[in-house]
Amino acid sequence: MEIYLPIAGMSINFFVILGAGGLVGFLSGLFGVGGGFLLTPLLMMIGIPPAVAAASDSNQIVAGASSGAFAHWRLGNVDFKMGLVILIGGIAGGTIGVQFVKVLRAMGNFEFVMKVVYVIMLGLVGSAMFMESWRTIRRSKSGGAAVSEEIGGAKLGQLFSVLPLKMHFHRSGLHTSAIFPFLIGVTVGIMAALLGVGGGFIMVPAMIYIIGMPTIAAIGTDLFQIVLTSANVTLQQAFVNKTVDLLLALILLGGSTIGAQFGAIAGRRLKGEQIRILLAIIVLALTVKLFFDLVLTPTDLVSLAPAKGGGH
Amino acid sequence: MKRCWTFFLILGLVGLGGGRAQAISPEAQEKVVTAASKNLIEIGLSYRGDQIHFFGLNPVSGADLIIRLTAEKSDEVKLSVKGRVGPFWMAVKQYDVTGAPFMYKIHSTRPINEIISPAVAQELELGYPAVRQRMNLKLARGDAAPDDAEKVFKGLIKIKEKGNLYNIVADPKRLEVAEGKLFKHFFRFPPAASEGRYLVESFAFTDGQLVGYGKDVIEIKKVGLESWLTNISQNYPVFFGIMAVLIALGAGLLVGMIFKKGGHH
Repeated sequence: MEIYLPIAGMSINFFVILGAGGLVGFLSGLFGVGGGFLLTPLLMMIGIPPAVAAASDSNQIVAGASSGAFAHWRLGNVDFKMGLVILIGGIAGGTIGVQFVKVLRAMGNFEFVMKVVYVIMLGLVGSAMFMESWRTIRRSKSGGAAVSEEIGGAKLGQLFSVLPLKMHFHRSGLHTSAIFPFLIGVTVGIMAALLGVGGGFIMVPAMIYIIGMPTIAAIGTDLFQIVLTSANVTLQQAFVNKTVDLLLALILLGGSTIGAQFGAIAGRRLKGEQIRILLAIIVLALTVKLFFDLVLTPTDLVSLAPAKGGGH
Repeated sequence: MKRCWTFFLILGLVGLGGGRAQAISPEAQEKVVTAASKNLIEIGLSYRGDQIHFFGLNPVSGADLIIRLTAEKSDEVKLSVKGRVGPFWMAVKQYDVTGAPFMYKIHSTRPINEIISPAVAQELELGYPAVRQRMNLKLARGDAAPDDAEKVFKGLIKIKEKGNLYNIVADPKRLEVAEGKLFKHFFRFPPAASEGRYLVESFAFTDGQLVGYGKDVIEIKKVGLESWLTNISQNYPVFFGIMAVLIALGAGLLVGMIFKKGGHH
């Protein structure tokens, strides 16, 4: 069953997109991380123009995160003050990011920069996760108790508490400087625009280990700000680059929702560190693939530089 | 037949007197009567490209046929040329290419160079060399190199052929001619063929001379949801952006209610 995507300007099998969304949804249900950072490269692999893939992925994240955010808000897990500070940073970062995308597209190197950033990000996250879960598995085999890795982070937290612009974050029970949450927001906002990701896979560890928030509040607050940051990126992409394919986003949402249910079921049958090492392997495999794309001689030296309007 | 000779004579005189420009005027030729299986292609939700069958009557029995499909609009594309920078391959220069047709397909009874001379091919814009003649290159970024024009032209042809927007086929199986008179063939319009008007022109030649000409116009347009989404997103981006976000929020909350704790973060 073929479906014609109006903005991507191409005809593609409906089930291929649903499957891509489903696969990423399954992984995110299994691993509890956002699938954005996997979805954009996957969409590019099936032939969606990179700029349309990133913009539509942001749109899909708005939908994907809103249900989770709503649930956490009802449970009182959202630190609105913290979320707001991160959000201000996120909006600033997202706006800068979209302009950055515009310049890069005009220069014809958007795809290159996107892939480089991906290789670095995924490589770092993948190796860190692999090492952490490998250690946990070995430790549990030798019978020792798992120790949380907060020691290094807690010191950083103390450092941030001496910085100026102190604020009291009631829900997280913290009294710390607003500068760092703001900077995290800016970084994640730029990445959201550049890569079409929600940024949860950086944001949550940063909030827990570096800012020192309780895990459940970090997840709730993260989801809250992802909805708004992704909404901002979607708006900017729609205004500036006109590359949001709503049809694509909605099919992806359908797929990822179904996939997430199965992922959550599978997740209950595996141990945490087994899940994490599996995710690390997937992330590293993707990194290697993207890296080879950058260094191997391309089959076509002349290629279309995406023109205004995305598809063509 | 007599009429044909008169045409040749006139053509010859015009050709001698007027130089190359407009020496051959296809419209003045005997009409190649053609019919298309349809003249309108609608891009709907399940559009996956389309094909149109053409039937025609060769005005001169046994004459060679060259049938050309072109888009009325010409393409304005930016082509980036990759080069090695350190260990990486990245776009090192960019050309703005104008003048090349957006779509260009030819079916002929024999290879074009066996039917007509290069001069006639150039004049009637039949074949890739003529496309190249029409194409304009402007360096937008990077440093020009002498072989760039060739490289970019070949790259463009390759991209277009890959997307099934360009091809040139000289195959009696694709262009069947019954008794030298009645011909039929079909053109495939890939999903990438965007909205606009397309021309299908049939040229008949004997001994390298144009003896007949016919024209069909095909229109492609988006309809329904496709047309609406494209129009809104390109012309009312603010409204479209807000709508995209609201629909996503609504869909997400709906899904969350259905699955209680669905979606992902």
